[in-house]
Amino acid sequence: MASQTKTNLKSHIPEKSFLFEKIVPIALISMGVITLGLMIFAAGVLLGIVHF
Amino acid sequence: MSINQVLPFISTAVMLWFTVDVFKRYLVRHNPAFLFWAIGLAMFGIGSFAEAYLSLTWNKWMFFAWYLFGAALNAAWLGHGTLYLLARKPWRHAVTVVLVLGSLFAGNLMLQAMPKLDEASFTTTKPVSEQYGTKALKAGEAVPADAQTITTTYRGAEVTAVRGLLPLGTPVRLTTPFFNIYGLLTLVGGAIYSAYLFWRKRVMPNRVIANVLIAAGALAIGSASTLTRLGYGEYLYLGELISAILMFIGFRMAAKPQPEEVMVSNSIPASAD
Repeated sequence: MASQTKTNLKSHIPEKSFLFEKIVPIALISMGVITLGLMIFAAGVLLGIVHF
Repeated sequence: MSINQVLPFISTAVMLWFTVDVFKRYLVRHNPAFLFWAIGLAMFGIGSFAEAYLSLTWNKWMFFAWYLFGAALNAAWLGHGTLYLLARKPWRHAVTVVLVLGSLFAGNLMLQAMPKLDEASFTTTKPVSEQYGTKALKAGEAVPADAQTITTTYRGAEVTAVRGLLPLGTPVRLTTPFFNIYGLLTLVGGAIYSAYLFWRKRVMPNRVIANVLIAAGALAIGSASTLTRLGYGEYLYLGELISAILMFIGFRMAAKPQPEEVMVSNSIPASAD
């Protein structure tokens, strides 16, 4: 993709940042799991497995 | 006026501000992603307003707006905007056609359901999200406290059900999970994917945080809606307000330029760019 590069605005994630080393990965994994759970719940409703 | 009657009006105001902000970006940049986001946000705002209105008094067209825009369609249209940011392939236009036709189909089904609403079952003492659907009780299942029941025929059998506005088996209810699964996958999945890509490349920390906030905001309303359907409706209005605020902050952060200018590959999706 080198030929398709474009000028954009960017900065770097700071080294040894607790936020980016610990909080962000945990948040992303947790949200992925919750999303999957909600999607399974919705699919359960669609298939008639979950009633409400 | 209780706090639960005030919160949806605050959410509506936030969503209105958010919608105008995103639509102005569409007018400047002509990126369809902003248009789909603005449509989804407008639907979210309409749903919040209708919910606020229905916490005060009954109006069947407010219920129409609440169910169609607030419960069924808005997540899918928001997520479709994210799809346009991430996938730059021609097939996304075909998905747009499916989404538009699906939305019109759901709207038509909702119109057909309107004459069958059990309006007498409505009460302002509970959120509309706790009383929109009639729920059949299984044999031996206890009737929830303060619930009204009816005996009705459903699929050829006589059943006892907790009364709700939409009768048992209303077809429009079957369309909602399709829109919500698509919306969750694209909106939350897209934001998580974008945040992960920036995080892995160690670039654009503001967009990492912005996408985390957008995903968290979308999940806040998704989780609150699910909790409501499981009988914990007291968190819904707070969930909506948190969702509106988190997504708005996330969007504003993502759109904010970074201090230094460097070369970046086009392969990095710039969610909410």
